[in-house]
Parts: sequence; structure tokens; C-alpha cells
Amino acid sequence: MPIRLRASVHRILVYVGLTGFALLFGEVFLRIADPQPLLPRYVTGTAWGVRGNIPHARYRHRTPEVDVEFRINGQGMRADRDFPLGRQAGTCRIAVFGDSFFMGYELDLKDTFSARLEERLREDRYNADVLNFSVSGFGTAEMIRHYERFGRRFEPDVVVFQWHASDPEDNVRADLFDFEDGRVVATERSYLPLVALQDALMKFSLYRLITDQSHLYSFARERASVFARRLMAMAEKRTAEPGAEAHAAGAADDGPGEPESKTPYEISLSAALLRHAAAMARGEERDFFVVEVPKRLSRASYGSTIGVLPGADLAELNVLSPLQDFRRLSSEDAKLYYERGHGHLTPLGVAVLVAAVAPRLEQSARLRGCKQ
Amino acid sequence: MLFNSFVFSVFLAVFFPLYLLVRRDVFARNVFLIVSSYVFYGWWDPRFLILVAVSTSVDYVAALGAAGKPVSRVDRLKSAAFLLATTAGGLGFASREDLWLVPLVLAGICTAGLATYAIDRAPEGRRRRYWLYLSLVTNLGVLALFKYFNFFATSIAAALAAIGIEIQAASLSIILPVGLSFYTFQALSRTIDCYRGRFDPAYSIVDYAAYHAFFPQLVAGPIERAGHLMPQFERVLPLTRGLVGSGALLFVWGLYQKLVIADNLAPLASGVFDDPEGGTAAATLVGVLAFAFQIYCDFCGYSNMARGLARCLGFDLVANFDLPYFARTPSEFWRRWHISLSTWLRDYLYIPLGGSRGGTAATCRNLMATMLLGGLWHGAAWTFVAWGGLHGLIQAAYRALKVESLIERHPFMTATGVLVHGAAWLATMGLVTIGWVFFRARSFGDAMAVLQNLAGVTGYSFQAFGPLLQYVVPLIAAEIYQRASNRQEIFAGGPFVIRYVAFLFVMFSLLALSAPGGQEFIYFDF
Repeated sequence: MPIRLRASVHRILVYVGLTGFALLFGEVFLRIADPQPLLPRYVTGTAWGVRGNIPHARYRHRTPEVDVEFRINGQGMRADRDFPLGRQAGTCRIAVFGDSFFMGYELDLKDTFSARLEERLREDRYNADVLNFSVSGFGTAEMIRHYERFGRRFEPDVVVFQWHASDPEDNVRADLFDFEDGRVVATERSYLPLVALQDALMKFSLYRLITDQSHLYSFARERASVFARRLMAMAEKRTAEPGAEAHAAGAADDGPGEPESKTPYEISLSAALLRHAAAMARGEERDFFVVEVPKRLSRASYGSTIGVLPGADLAELNVLSPLQDFRRLSSEDAKLYYERGHGHLTPLGVAVLVAAVAPRLEQSARLRGCKQ
Repeated sequence: MLFNSFVFSVFLAVFFPLYLLVRRDVFARNVFLIVSSYVFYGWWDPRFLILVAVSTSVDYVAALGAAGKPVSRVDRLKSAAFLLATTAGGLGFASREDLWLVPLVLAGICTAGLATYAIDRAPEGRRRRYWLYLSLVTNLGVLALFKYFNFFATSIAAALAAIGIEIQAASLSIILPVGLSFYTFQALSRTIDCYRGRFDPAYSIVDYAAYHAFFPQLVAGPIERAGHLMPQFERVLPLTRGLVGSGALLFVWGLYQKLVIADNLAPLASGVFDDPEGGTAAATLVGVLAFAFQIYCDFCGYSNMARGLARCLGFDLVANFDLPYFARTPSEFWRRWHISLSTWLRDYLYIPLGGSRGGTAATCRNLMATMLLGGLWHGAAWTFVAWGGLHGLIQAAYRALKVESLIERHPFMTATGVLVHGAAWLATMGLVTIGWVFFRARSFGDAMAVLQNLAGVTGYSFQAFGPLLQYVVPLIAAEIYQRASNRQEIFAGGPFVIRYVAFLFVMFSLLALSAPGGQEFIYFDF
């Protein structure tokens, strides 16, 4: 081998070795000094152009506070069984659409909103199945597409949409609907951010091992995500209409304690999307509810995020919010959100949420038929 | 703008490539440095650029005059034009309401013109001294007005009230321009050195303005001497990849000291000093020690960043810290802590007062005067004066007790030596830590409450010290390594493996453990 080539190979090997050592060092460093929440996302693209959970996936979420298993059924729902399409005699169905909060991030299956709601309904003698169509990262626009193209096939009696602080930005970013003359118009576009890359990587067991186990990978992914959000917020700040400046600053740091600041367009689009979803469900003779997950502003203070929508819309949308109960419990120092992971609801938080919304859901005329 | 801010990273990303383009032409480089430094400084408040320009313009001509050189009409016009141009530039970014500053600047130029006219007509033997006075009056006048006016006015009113004379204290609603104490001292030292014949000033106002406003060290030092830094602005500086690399590493180390250590310790210290009467003895000790390391890492971190940045540009700044918490006597502490200020005070205050030439009593008096003024330099509050006074007192006591000669008589590598050095170190660190209580406390009452709490024995456990130790232990390990290997910089030389591991540790700490929210540097307030 020529001397120059040998020197080059030697140099490359040294750089590879140093890089490998640096990665190993980073992994060990983070495990000791700053353990990261390991919350892998097993999502892929669906035929209807939005993200979906990978059917039959099994993985774990580990944070300094929890270690839980995720089991996805063959239909991409977080459940241990598949559900037949079409209405089932004597059984009511509630279809729940949401993001990571309703999917049950950082929670055991039995503690998720859908599982707790089903348990509560059965205790109250309702023969009801709660189908969890939630996918991490969803906004209202994706929930609508998921319902239109997939969820409605299960012929639910009641449709529940989750609402959270990030929805207004997500709805604009997804670009699945335009907003013209106060009405939403479907764009027929897809919204599959980085899904192709993720699909390609998920074919490798080494990548799956890294995404499930590596603190360094989790750290880098989160930082990259925050950075990307900041860049997008800056870009939106440049292009959006007046009012966007405050929004961009708020969106850049979407953590606890950040004040809500949404642009008029985000608010109008989100309200129109919820109205559209409600009209669609009611047109199919289904009851429709919106359940708000309050935003944690600090250790013991919570804020409403759906309050940014016009009052007339709120009255029309059957909005259910546990905000008063959350605020009441904050004085008792109850831990309703996890603090060392990604800030999702604790089992107590879900229990309070279910206790707050179940009585209203049980008043639904559609559920009376399955009361025993 | 702060070194640890996003804005600064954007500034640097634009500045550095352009600097590389112009660095081989001294004039172009210095003009570019002036503009960049003014952008950097004006980011806080463009109006304060006028003060920088006043100091630059006056000291440009005053240094020439103090050195005994002829100050021509052209030099005076250059000086006035520079001030006017900077004023126009600064006010261009300020609001319209600040235009009242224009006649003030014009009046200042007229006054300075009259003063120089008077100096020209003074007897030749006194002219140099009068030029020096012009610099002293201008720099110290600006400092007194912006930093000390309200302090002295309220102190006088309080003193008169104590003897039954009630007066309404005059007060100015002005904020302290960042870095004022640093750049005025740097400007003064150059003019004094010129007067003493130790530095020969050149006629280029561009070179001098670039030196005066050099952004890495403009706002918090090190306070440079003209003899060391000025010649670097008069020639093309070599810039190698190794130099840039070593500067970048020094900057990263400073960033680690600031973001990971100082900013994470700040809440521990604030917890104690915001509520000095609450908390156990252990919590108070943790808070006080946290502040001792916070202020060290905050300021040393800034100095390292400044030196690192300057090195990346080819410039060499003096070291400002030399492992001060290894000091065994208060004098040694001051030879290692904020070296550029302590040597300034030594050369321009302590020695002119007589230094140690007049016997023990005179030496103690000079020490006290120097340290009291040094304390006042840090801030316009009596707690700072008390801090300076305490340091003066303990230095005088150590001198009277001849502790330094006792240490010198016992080499460290003997059993007695370990005992003597250890005891001296412990005593000095104890006194320095008590000094920090006065430095940080908002009032004497708060300081006494903290000291009273420290005297207790409640709350001691290993866990109580955990939050402090997790940030301080790596620093102590690094400094022991530096001390043992006689290295002033952690990344300078030594086995590659150690440097690489240290680098990875610092980088991952910066990425994962940096305190949230960019906090200002403590010394910006001085």
C-alpha cells in the first residue's frame, strides 16, 4: 500500500475511532449526569397521508419517573386487541382522537385516557368500547383526516377530539386544510414530516436499538426538534401577518410557563377545523366533544388554551375541560404532570381528567342505548 | 450583546470571515474592528457609544500631550471629528428623543477645545501635567457622574440626616453604562504611562480607537496596558490554525465556567442572599460557597472567553486569573484574582501612595487606601467598601504577622510544610469567603444575618452539599490538574487523551447542563 494512502487510511481510522469514543463518552456522560427521557416514536405514514402508529409495534418509554410498555394493535391503536369495523350490536363506541397526551405517553395502557374512560363507563354500566386513534404529534387537522379516512369506518357513536396548546401551530404547519371565507377546504396534501427517513431507518435493528435505548440519541433528537421549531417559528415570524411576532416567540419555547400567543390565522383556522369536525360527526348522527388538556404553566398552575377560540365556537363545540379541578388540586400539591420526562399527564392527571369529563359524556343520547 | 447569546453567535459568524479578509491590512483591520466593536457595544444601548468616543477622543490627544509630543490642530480636529462621527452613528440607532445629546456633545467639544487652548498657553514645564489632568478629569468625571453620583449624594444626605440636618438628596435617573469602569481605567493607564515616559503614543486615532474599543475585552476586561496591547494594533498579527484552535478551546472553557458552573450555582447563592435569615447553617454555607464559585467562574469565565476570542483574532490579552483559590495569603490571592485590576491598583495607586517604602504603619495605610478604593471600584455601595476594607485589613494583618515569610521558610513537601501551607490556605479561604458575604449581600444587615447563620451547626449532611458539589468538583479536579502540571490553561499541552476527555466532558456539559436563560455577567455591573 502506498505510504500516502496508508497515512490517509490511518488518519481516517483515527477520526472514526475518536468519533466513536466521543459518542460512547456522550452516552455514558448523559446516563450519569443527565439521564434523558427515552420516548421513541414508532410512527409511519398511512395511506391517507398523515402519520399513524406502526401496527403491532412493541416498545418502551423510560424516563427518570416511569418505565412503561407500549403495545400497538394491528390497526395502529394503542390497545391489546383489534376492533371489528362497523357497529357492534349492544355496544357503544367512543372514538378518541388526540396527540401524545391521549395516546398515553409516559403511561401504562391501563392509565391512558381511553382505558380509564372505558373503565369508568363500564363501572357506570355502559357497555362501551373506547377506541384510541391518537398519534403523537397530531393536531386537529390530522385528527380530522384520520377520522374521515379511517376512524369513521368503525362507526363510533361519540367522537372526542383532544385539544392542547400546540394544536393551533400544528394545524397551520400541517397544511391539510386551507381557510377560505370562514370555511375550511381540504387541500388533499399529505403531512408526513420525516416519515420517509424514519421508515428507512426503522428497517435496521441497530437504529431501533438506538432509538429505544440511547440517551445520546434521545438528547440529540430533542435538541434538533427544538432547534427546528425555533427555525420554523422564525420563518413564520417573517411571513405571517401582524401578531405573528409574539406567536413566534411563544412557539420557539413551547415549554411550561410560556404565555399563549397565537396568531389570528391560527385561531381562526383551528376554530373552523373544530366546527368542521363537529359538523361532520353530527352529520353522521354522532355526538361530538372536545376535551381540553390544560397547559401546565408552572409546578402548580394551569392555564386554559382553548379559551383563545371565539366564545360562540366554544358553546357550539361541547368543550369539556378539567381546568377547575386541576386548579383546585394544585393547592394540594398534586402531581398532575410528569416533571422529568416530556411533561405528559400522570395517572392522577388522567384520573382527574376522566372524572371531569365522564359525567358529560354519559349524558350523550347516543350512549343511552348501551346502558345496562 | 453577551458572549453566551444567540445574537453574539450570529455576530461572530458574520464578523470572523470578514476579519480574515481584512486582517492583513492594519488600517482596514482596525477600522473594521472599531465598527464591529461599536456594533457589539451599541447593542446594549447605542447612546453609550458617545461615552466610549469621549474617552477615546480625549485620551488620544491627552496621551500625546502628556508624553510631551506636539498636539497639532489636525490631531484635535481628528479627535473632534471622531467624537462627532460616533455620536451621529450612535444616535442614528437611538430614538428621536435623544437628540438633546447633540448640543451636549458640541458643548463638550467646545469645552475640551477651550481646555486645550488654555493648556497650550500654560508654561511649557506644566503642559504635560495639564494634559494628564484633562484625561483624569474626563475619565474620572464620567465615572463619578454615571457610577457614583447617586451613591455619594444619598450617603451625604444620610450623614447629614444623622446629625439632624435634613436635605433632599439629589439624584440622577441614569443607568450605569456597561464596562465603564473597565475602559476608563484602561484609557487612564495609557495616558499615565505616557506621562511617565513608559509608553510612546502614536498619532493614529484609528489604531488607538481600535485598541480602546476592542470588543473581546471592552466591557469586562482584562484591563490592558498600552505597552502590551497597543503595539498589536500597529502591525499585522500572525494567525495560525493552532492559534485559532487554542483560542476556541479557551473560549469553550470560559463558556463552560459561565454557563455550567456560575449560572447553575447562581440560584443556590440567591436562595441564601435573598432570604438571609431563613435556612439552616448548612444551607447558608452552601449558598455562600456557591457564590464564591459563582463569582469566580462568572468573571474568570468571561476573561477566558475574552482571551480566547482575542487569540482567535491573533491578539494576546493578559491572563486575569491564576487559580486564585489556591492562594495561601490574601496578598497571593490578589496576585491571582483579577490580576489586571490588582496590578492597576498597585501601579497607579498603591506605589504612588508610597507602597511599602515607608515602614509598617505607612504600608498598612497605603494597603487600606488601595483596597478601600478597589472595593469602591466594584460598586457604588458601602458593602463593597467594607469588602475592600476587609481585604485591606487582612492583608495588613498578614503582613504584620509575617505569614508569607513563615510559608516561605517551610517548603510544601515536608510534614510541617503541609501543615503550615494547609492552615494558611484554610485561613485565607475562610477570610476570602467571609469577604464574599459583604460583596454579595444587599446591606450590612443582610451580611450580618448570613454570618450569624453560618455560625450555627444545623442541617449538615452530605446531601445538603450535593447541588454544590456536582458543579464544583469537576472544576476543582481541573484546577488541581492545572496546578500540578503547572498549566495556566486546561487545554494547553499535556497528554492528548486527557485533553480529549476533558474537551468531551466540557462539550457535553455545555450541551446538557447549561443553565437555562442567558444570565448577564456579574462584572458587567461594575
